[in-house]
Amino acid sequence: MKLSNLKTVESAHDDSIWAAAWVPPTDSRPPLLLTGSLDETVRLWRPDDLHLDRTNTGHCLGVVSVAAHPSGAIAASASLDSFVRVFYVDTNSTVATLEAPPSEVWQMQFDPKGTTLAVAGGGSASVKLWDTATWQVITTLSIPRPETPKPSDKGNKKFVLSVAWSPDGRRIACGSMDGTVSIFDVARAKFLHHLEGHFMPVRSLVYSPVEPRLLFTASDDAHVHMYDAEGKALIGALTGHGSWVLSVDISPDGAALATGSSDRTVMLWDLSMRASVQTMKNHSDQVWAVAFRPPGGNLRGGRLASVSDDKSISLYDYS
Amino acid sequence: MACVYIPVQNSEEEVRVALDQLPRDASDILDILKAEQAPLDLWLIIAREYFKQGKIDQFRQILEEGSSPEIDEYYADVRYERIAILNALGAYYSYLGKIESKPREKEEHFILATQYYNKASRIDMHEPSTWVGKGQLLLAKGEVEQAFAAFKIVLDGDRDNVPALLGQACVEFNRGRYSDSLGFYKRALQAHPSCPAVVRLGIGLCHYKLGQFERARQAFQRVLQLDPENVEALVAMAILDMQTNKAAGIRKGVEKMHRAFEIYPYCAMASNYLANHFFFTGQHFLVEQLTETALAVTNHGPTRSHSFYNLARSYHSKGDYEKAGLYYMASVKEINKPHAFIFPYYGLGQVQMKLGDYRSALLNFEKVLEVYPDNSETLTVVGHIYVQLGQVEKGQDLLRKATKVDSRDAQAYLDLGDLLISTDINAALDAFKTARTLLKKDGQEVPIELLNNIGVIYFEQGELELAEESFKEAVGDGIWSSFINGKVNYGTVDASAAPRLYKDMQIFTRLEKDGINLDLPWNKVSPLFNLARLLEESHKSNIASLFYQFIIFKYPDYIDAYLRLAAMAKARNNIQLSIELVNDALMINEKYPNALSMLGELELKNDDWVKAKETLRAVSEAAQGKDSYSSLSLGNWNYFAALRNEKRAPKLEATHLEKAKELYTRVLAQNNSNLYAANGAGVVLAEKGQFDVSKDVFTQVQEAAIQMPDVWINLAHVYFAQGNFPLAMKMYENCLRKFYHGTDAYILLYLARNYYEAEQWQECKKTLLRAIHLSPANYILRFDAGVAMQKFSTSTLQKPKKTADEVRSVVEELENAVRVFTQMYGAANLHYHGFDEKKIETHVEYCTHLLGVAKVHCDAATREEEQTRQRQELARQVALAEDARRVAEEQRKKQLEKRKLEDEQKRVQQQEEHFRRVKEQWKSSTSASKRRERSDIDDDEGGHSERRRRRGGKRRRKDRSSRSRYDMEEEEEAGIMDGQEELEDEEPARVSDGEENPQDPLAAAGLEDSDAEDENEPPSNAGRWKRTWSESDDEDTLRQQHSDKDRNNQKTNGDDPVENM
Repeated sequence: MKLSNLKTVESAHDDSIWAAAWVPPTDSRPPLLLTGSLDETVRLWRPDDLHLDRTNTGHCLGVVSVAAHPSGAIAASASLDSFVRVFYVDTNSTVATLEAPPSEVWQMQFDPKGTTLAVAGGGSASVKLWDTATWQVITTLSIPRPETPKPSDKGNKKFVLSVAWSPDGRRIACGSMDGTVSIFDVARAKFLHHLEGHFMPVRSLVYSPVEPRLLFTASDDAHVHMYDAEGKALIGALTGHGSWVLSVDISPDGAALATGSSDRTVMLWDLSMRASVQTMKNHSDQVWAVAFRPPGGNLRGGRLASVSDDKSISLYDYS
Repeated sequence: MACVYIPVQNSEEEVRVALDQLPRDASDILDILKAEQAPLDLWLIIAREYFKQGKIDQFRQILEEGSSPEIDEYYADVRYERIAILNALGAYYSYLGKIESKPREKEEHFILATQYYNKASRIDMHEPSTWVGKGQLLLAKGEVEQAFAAFKIVLDGDRDNVPALLGQACVEFNRGRYSDSLGFYKRALQAHPSCPAVVRLGIGLCHYKLGQFERARQAFQRVLQLDPENVEALVAMAILDMQTNKAAGIRKGVEKMHRAFEIYPYCAMASNYLANHFFFTGQHFLVEQLTETALAVTNHGPTRSHSFYNLARSYHSKGDYEKAGLYYMASVKEINKPHAFIFPYYGLGQVQMKLGDYRSALLNFEKVLEVYPDNSETLTVVGHIYVQLGQVEKGQDLLRKATKVDSRDAQAYLDLGDLLISTDINAALDAFKTARTLLKKDGQEVPIELLNNIGVIYFEQGELELAEESFKEAVGDGIWSSFINGKVNYGTVDASAAPRLYKDMQIFTRLEKDGINLDLPWNKVSPLFNLARLLEESHKSNIASLFYQFIIFKYPDYIDAYLRLAAMAKARNNIQLSIELVNDALMINEKYPNALSMLGELELKNDDWVKAKETLRAVSEAAQGKDSYSSLSLGNWNYFAALRNEKRAPKLEATHLEKAKELYTRVLAQNNSNLYAANGAGVVLAEKGQFDVSKDVFTQVQEAAIQMPDVWINLAHVYFAQGNFPLAMKMYENCLRKFYHGTDAYILLYLARNYYEAEQWQECKKTLLRAIHLSPANYILRFDAGVAMQKFSTSTLQKPKKTADEVRSVVEELENAVRVFTQMYGAANLHYHGFDEKKIETHVEYCTHLLGVAKVHCDAATREEEQTRQRQELARQVALAEDARRVAEEQRKKQLEKRKLEDEQKRVQQQEEHFRRVKEQWKSSTSASKRRERSDIDDDEGGHSERRRRRGGKRRRKDRSSRSRYDMEEEEEAGIMDGQEELEDEEPARVSDGEENPQDPLAAAGLEDSDAEDENEPPSNAGRWKRTWSESDDEDTLRQQHSDKDRNNQKTNGDDPVENM
C-alpha cells in the first residue's frame, strides 16, 4: 500500500484551497477534480496532468465545500455566504441556487443514488436534505438540543460541520463542533443516537464502502476514530497527526484511509494494521481536503488528491 | 646435656653447672663466679643461657654484674670478654628500645644501649662487634645513614664480617635499594655458607621487592627446607601464593598462613593476611579475632595499621560506620607517611562521606590523590565531594580528569554525565554515550538508568528517534513491545463509555486472565513512562495512554501517570475526564502541587473561577509559597479577573491588576529568569499603557525563549498598540505559522484587527474569512467580517475619485455584508450567538441603506462609464474620420499632383496641340474654364470638415451640462439620507451638510457611520491596550479573546515531567 506523487500544481488557485471532490466520469469525458477556494472560484481539473478545464465564478466569500452528483453530470459548490450553487459540470450553467436561511452551509454530499443532497447546516444544528429533482428541501434532520442549556454556554455546541451518507443511503452521520457525531435514519427522518469520544470539532467523516456500519471521523483532537455507527461502539483510534485532522477519505476498496491535517501532512493508513504506513510532506500549509477518485469507467490505478492552504493541488497514485 | 665447668680457684677442680638446671636465683651463680674468679666468657655463656630460657632478669643481673667497675678493674687486661658483655647488654637494650612502643621508655632504652656500646668502644675502639652492635642500634633508632657508616667501618676492616654484611644489607633494604641489599646478603652467604635460614629470608624478601617473585619463592623454599618452622618464610610464601590471584594459589596460601599461625600464633603478619582473607570470604567474626590477636602481639606500626584497617573494613562492610571510622582513624594514626599504606585513608574518606562529613572526607581523599594522582576512582569521589560542597566546576574538572586518566572507566564517565546533566547537557550526553559504549565493549549489561538518562537527554534535545531507541533498550522486552507492535487486541468499547477510555483497566485484567506475563520491574517504570512521553510527543497517543494505564495498573501510586493521562484528556478537550483523573491523582497525594495546579487550570477552563482560585491557593500552601508556578497561576487568575467582567468596574480592575503584578514580581524575585513571570509583568505593564517598558520586557523574553508563542503575540500587541502595523502583522503571522500549525483563529482575528487599523480592508476580510473557516461557530468573526465589508464600502465611497469597478465591488461587498448581517439577525432568536438583535438590525438597515446609495452611485458610475465609453467611441470615430480625411486629403493631393502633372502634360500636350493647332489654326479658349470648376470642388470639401469639427465641440458642452445635473441629483439624495441617518443612529452626523461643502458631496451623504468617530481618534487618545473594533460590545469580545490567549502563558510545569532516575 503506497502513495506516489504524480503531479503538483502550485498556485492552482489565487488563495487557500479549502475543498476538493471528484466528479465521476461520463461517457464523453474522464473524471474531473473539483476544487473550491477562498479566492471565490471553483475550478475543474483534468487528471493526470491536472490540466485546468474551467474556472467557475459566481460565489461570494470563500468556497467552503464542493460535491459531485454520482452521475457526474452535476455538481454543487457552497461558500461562506451560505449559498449553494448547483451547476452542470460540462457547461457551467446553473441548475439551481439553494438557500435556507438562517441555516449556514458547510459540508455537502449527494446520496449514493443521487436523489438527495445533504447539507450540513452549521449553527442551525441540523442537516438539510434537498431533492435533486425539484431542488426543494425534503426535510431537516435536527440534532436534539440538550434539555437545559446552560446560560453560560456561548455559541451552539451542536454546530454541524460535516455530513456523510452510509453506502446504502439509509443513514446520515454528521459531526459537530463539540465533537459528537449524530446518526440519523434517513427514511424515517429520525435522530438515532450520538457517538461520543471526540471533544473537539469533527470536520470530516466518511463511511466505509465495504462495511456499511463502519464510520471514520476526523477531529481537531488529532485523532481519527473508527466507530461501529450502529452499535455505538468505538472500535479504535488512529493517532499520528500532530495537529487537527481536517479531512478523511477512504479508498474505494475500503482498505486504506487518507487523512489531511493542519500539521501539513497527508497520511495513509492501512486499516488492516490500524497504523499509518506513509506520510506525505509535500504541502507547506494546512491540508484542507483529501479525496480518493471513485471507481468507474475503464480507469486503472487509484488516485488521491489533496488540496491545501498553500494554494497547491497534489495528485498521487494509490496502489 | 650441655654444661659448663667453672674452674675452682687454685685447684684443678671445676664446678659443673648444668645449663638447663641454672638456679632460679642468679645470685648463687654470681657468687660462684665471683668467688672462683671465673673467666668472663663463662659469665657471658651463663647469661646467654638465662636469656634463652627467658629469664631476662637473671640475664641482666649477671651481665650488669659482669660489667661493673670492680670487674673492669679486676679483669682489666681481659678486653675482649668485657667488650662482649657490654655489647650483649647494648644489644639487649637496643632490642628493648626497638620493641618499646612508649616513646619515653624507648628513648631510655636506646640511651642505655648507647652507653654500653660507648663503654665497649672505650675499651677497644676497633672492635668490629661493637661497631656491628652500634650499627644495629642505629638501625633500631631509624638512623639509617649512621648505621651505614658504622657497618662500613667494620667492613672496611674485614670485608667478610657476616654480621656487618647482614647489617648493611638491612640498611640498604630500609633505604629501598633492594639490589644493593641483595648483594650484601649474597656476600654474607658466600662468607658463611652455613649461616642461618634468616639470611636466605632476606634474599627472598629482596627478590620479592625487586619483583622477582620466582626467585623470591625459591629463596623462601630454601629457608623452609632449612627451617620448616620459619614463620616469616611461610608467611612470605603464603603471600606469594595469594598474589597469584588464582583460587588454587589462594587456597595454598591460606593453608600456609594457617600453618604459620599454628606454629606461631603471634605472628601479626600472618594474622593480618588471614584476616584479610576472611574478610573477603565474609567471615567477619574471624576477621575481628585475628586482627585483635595481631594487634595484641605487635607494636610494629605498619602491621598494626594493617590490622586496624582490616578491622575497620570489616565494620565498614557491616555498615557500622561509626566503629569503622574509629578503626580507620586508628589505622591512619599508625602510619607516618600516607605513602606507606594508603587504603585506610580511602576507607576513612568513604566512611566520613557516609556520615556526611564531606570536608574531612575531602582531606583524606586528597591524601590518596597525593599518592595516586591518577586514581580515577578517587578523582571521581573527590569530584562528587566538590559538587556536594557546591564547587561544581572543580568537581567537573576532576571527573573529566578521571575520564582522561582511564578512558575505559565506564563508571567515571557515568559519574561525569550525572554531574554534567544539570549544567552542560551536551557534554553529559557525550559522557553517557561513552560509558554506554565502554560497557557494551566489555560485554557488561548497560544499566537501565544510563539508557534512561541518554534517552531523556535526546528527548530534551528533540532527537526523538534516538531517544526512542534508548528508551526501548532500557525497557527491554515485555508486554509493552506487543503494545507497540499493535499485537494486542484492544477490543471494542461502547461509544458511550468512550469518554472513560483512559481509565479503563479491563484490557490488562483480560490479558492477565489469558496468562500473558504482565511483569513490570520497578526500575523499568521510569523508562517506560518516558517512552510513553515520547510516544505522546510523536503523536502516538494511543500507545502512550496504554503505557500510562499499564503503569497505573501495576503501580497504582504513580501519580505522574495519572497526570499525563489527565493532560492528554485535556488536550483532547475532555475536561470532565481530565478532572476525574486529576482527582484520582489527588487521592494518592492530596497536596501534590502538580496535580493541584492542573486541577486549577482545568477549573479555569471550565469557567469555574472561584473554585480555580481556591485550588491555586491550595497549591501555594502545599508548596509553602515556593512553587512559582502556583504564584504565576494566581497572577494570571487576577489578570483575567481584572478583564473578564462584561461590566467593568475600574476600581476592581485596578485591584486585580495590582495583585497580578505583585504576584508576578514575587515570582521574579524568587527566580529572576522566570520568563512566564516576566511575560506576565509585561502584560500588566501593557495593560497600564506603558508600552515602551512592556515592549522591552517582551523583547527580552522573546530573545530568551524563542519557543514561547505568548510573548510573540504580546509583542505584536504592543507594536499594534503603538501603531507599527507592518511589524505587528509580521509577528502575528510568524507566530501563527510557527506555533499553531496555522490553526489559531484568534491570532487571525488579531491579524484582521491589524489590517483593519491599517485600512487594508480586503486583507482584513480575507483574514476574517480564514478565521471563520477555522472556527465556524464563532459568530463574532462573522460579525467582524460584516463590519469589515461595511467599512470597506464606506471608505471606498468616500474616495473623491473612484472607478465604476470600485463602486461595483462596493455594491458586491455591501450585498455580502447585508447577507451576513441578515443571517445573523435571522439566527438571533435561536440564541447561538450572543449578539443583540437590535444591534444587528441596525447594521442590516444601515448596510441596506448604504447599498441603496451605492447602487445609485453604481448606476451613476455605470452611466458615466457608459458615457465615457461613448465619448471614447466618439473620439475614436472622430479620429477615424480625421484619419479618413487625411487619407482623402493625401489622395486628393496626390490626385492634384497627378492632375497637375496631367495638366502639365496636358498643357504641354495642349500647348503642343495648341502650338500644333496654332500652328494648325490659331483660336482656342475652353481649357481655362475647366480649370476653375475643379478648384470649386476643393473649396467644398474643406467646408464640410470644418462643420464637423464644430459639431463635436457642441456635443462636449452638452456632456458637461448633463453631468452637473447628475451631481445635483446626488446632492439632493444625500440630503434626504442624511436625515435618515441621524434618526437611525440617534447621533448627529459629524460631517456637515452637502450644501455647505459642495466639494465633498459624499461626505455630506452621511456615509460615515457612527463608529467612524471612534476610529478617527488620534492614537494618543486611543492609548488603550485594545483599540476599539467598531462598537463597544465588540471590544469586550475582543478583549476576552485576548485574555484567552494570555492564559496560554500558564505553561504547565506539570504538563511534561520527564524523569531522571
